[in-house]
Amino acid sequence: MAPAGAQARKSNAVKRERPAPHTRRTQHRHVFLIGILTAGLVALVLIHVWLRLQVVHTGYVLSTTSKLQSRLEQENRELKIELATLTSPERLELMARQRLGLRTPEKGQVIVLP
Amino acid sequence: MRRPARRSQHRLGIARILFLALFLVIGGRAIQLQVLQGEKLMRLGHRQHLKEWIVLPKRGALFDRTGEPLALSMESQSVYARPRRIHDVEKLSHNLARILKLRAADVKEKISAEKPFVWVKRQVSSSEAEQIQTLNADGIGMFYEPNRHYPQGQLAGQVIGFVGLDSEGLEGLELKYNNYIRGETGSSVAERDALGRRVLVQGVEGLHIPPGSDLHLTVDTSIQHMAEKELEASIRKYRAKAGVVIVVEPFTGEVLALANYPSFDPNNYSKQSAEQRRNRAVTDSFEPGSTFKTILAAAALEEGVVGKEDLFYCEMGKYSYAGKIIHDTHPHGWLPFSKILQVSSNIGFTKVAEKLKKERFFKYIEKFGFGEPTGIDVPGEAAGLVRKPDKWAAIDLATHGFGQGISTTPLQMVMAYAAIANGGFLMRPYVVRRAVGSKGEVLMQNQPHVVRRVISEKTATLLSSMLQDVTTEGGTGTMANIEGFTVAGKTGTAQKADPVHGGYAAKKRVASFIGFVPANKPRLVALVLIDEPEVNVYGGVVAAPVFRNVARGALRYFAVAPQKPAALPAAPLRPEAPPRHVVKRPNVKQVEDSAEAAPDFVGLSLREALEKAQALKVKVRLQGSGYVIKQSPAPGGRWSEEAGLVLSLQG
Repeated sequence: MAPAGAQARKSNAVKRERPAPHTRRTQHRHVFLIGILTAGLVALVLIHVWLRLQVVHTGYVLSTTSKLQSRLEQENRELKIELATLTSPERLELMARQRLGLRTPEKGQVIVLP
Repeated sequence: MRRPARRSQHRLGIARILFLALFLVIGGRAIQLQVLQGEKLMRLGHRQHLKEWIVLPKRGALFDRTGEPLALSMESQSVYARPRRIHDVEKLSHNLARILKLRAADVKEKISAEKPFVWVKRQVSSSEAEQIQTLNADGIGMFYEPNRHYPQGQLAGQVIGFVGLDSEGLEGLELKYNNYIRGETGSSVAERDALGRRVLVQGVEGLHIPPGSDLHLTVDTSIQHMAEKELEASIRKYRAKAGVVIVVEPFTGEVLALANYPSFDPNNYSKQSAEQRRNRAVTDSFEPGSTFKTILAAAALEEGVVGKEDLFYCEMGKYSYAGKIIHDTHPHGWLPFSKILQVSSNIGFTKVAEKLKKERFFKYIEKFGFGEPTGIDVPGEAAGLVRKPDKWAAIDLATHGFGQGISTTPLQMVMAYAAIANGGFLMRPYVVRRAVGSKGEVLMQNQPHVVRRVISEKTATLLSSMLQDVTTEGGTGTMANIEGFTVAGKTGTAQKADPVHGGYAAKKRVASFIGFVPANKPRLVALVLIDEPEVNVYGGVVAAPVFRNVARGALRYFAVAPQKPAALPAAPLRPEAPPRHVVKRPNVKQVEDSAEAAPDFVGLSLREALEKAQALKVKVRLQGSGYVIKQSPAPGGRWSEEAGLVLSLQG
């Protein structure tokens, strides 16, 4: 502890003297650099957190959109089935006969062009 | 100043030690969590925020040759219960029964079972699913399951087949092409939040599980509908048990229609009998009867044993052969070979078979594909029953000649006739044209496949002309005649074997007609088979009209121009539906037509214009309807036949 005590005394002695302007500048520069580094680090962490939040948010959006896509596909399939059912030859014939009063053409009523 | 400095140094030392100890503890804990328990904790964590989502297989669709959908898949919901989590069984079973239209007692039994999981009802409707959701009951949940729909109902039901609740093909094309249509079951792992919602932070790539391929069929819904409708009408009219209609393109082997009666609706497969599900056209064998005479005729002509005009004595309807008496429906004396086919004389054909001998006859039976499956891409195909000639009894030569004592499937018969229609090639029939993947890539394609050449083109042409006589005056198949077209075909009225008493049943018959049209340039070959008709048993009466109606409809559908102009009666008037607009015919005098000048159509009605165009073989393009008010080029003007005429109509 003795050399440490001597050093402390020495530093007390130094403290009493006015520091040279260039040392002060160096100190300021160090503080400034540390400040910049800390701020950069904090900014990086914040960006990382922000990005992470964005990913989660986009995940939710994707999930909702994916659900919407599935629902629309399902609706599309339902409509396709409905269309196919409505245009089935059996139903078309029934509608043509009953609603429109159509009937199978007699012979000679169908003329195929060459 | 010394004391405080020493004290602060002392404090600093303590702080250092404290921090060091703290970091050591933190470090130790970190090692414990990350290294020693790392794997276990990671697993626990994943279990909490990752979930495996099952992606259901997307079964491919089935389309007809024009793109009409025949089978489509949807996702429907199934209701399940976890009985151990249910508190008020009585109330819940009552509510579920009300919504799902089930018996409360059945539901109660299900949801109070000693099982961790039970299905309450599978594939419920969307309104039922919504009501279940509003119940918000503990221990009741819903699960998405694929559901198959057949929008055309019973149309081609036996050909399409059906899938079970687990989305596996069980019959028909659904079974045969299951590997193509099925699609893959997959799963994707995604993160979930505290509420159990899926959060796709890894993107959606993992969700893409390739769906099954679509099948494009050769079957045409319009022709299939005509075939089914006409078949059912005939079966009802003649009080028959069952029936089959097959329509095939002779040059490719593509099946255009394959109709069975009783019909089968795959939407309700569980409620229908195995009888209805059976695709008789390929699974059942029949004794073909007189339609098989054509095979003997082809063999005899090809081998040069007989000529078209060779005379045979038909013994006036009664002929003793191999210790048995062979009868004809009508007694005949001397007849040329062509006439024997036209009147379908059993005695005449027995004599032809005698000349041909059994080995040569058998060779053609095999060449025409009898006794082996045709190779159609439909499951359950039968081979028929053909015995080797060394197993034939003496009478078999005669009976085989008129299609008894041998069994064939309807499909084998129609393919044999297709070989005659196309100039002598036996084709492999097929129902599926291609399987197309989700990105439009063709994964499988069926091409026309020649199995073998059976007879020469000359024999095919000769036989075709002889078969045309069957449908003209004096033949057995006049009711198959279609105005404007030449029809080649043959009737059949076969006795049915009696499986109980042996021999043939006294009254049971199979009436059939197989033919092709137009005879000289066939577009289609069709078979009609009516099993056990009661009112009338003759193929020429029961089956031939079905052929006529189906073939006529199909020719109209394909827009095949008649070979000979049909009689053109006046348009039938409908007194109950008077024309809405009475249009006065433009008072225009027709210009005399000459070879170089454009013929005059101005003033003609649409029908008259079309008739004139058909008669003069002039290409016309129509604009509007009513009466022709203008034509380009003008009547009498310079024109070229290739360019044709443009007719503007109004009225």
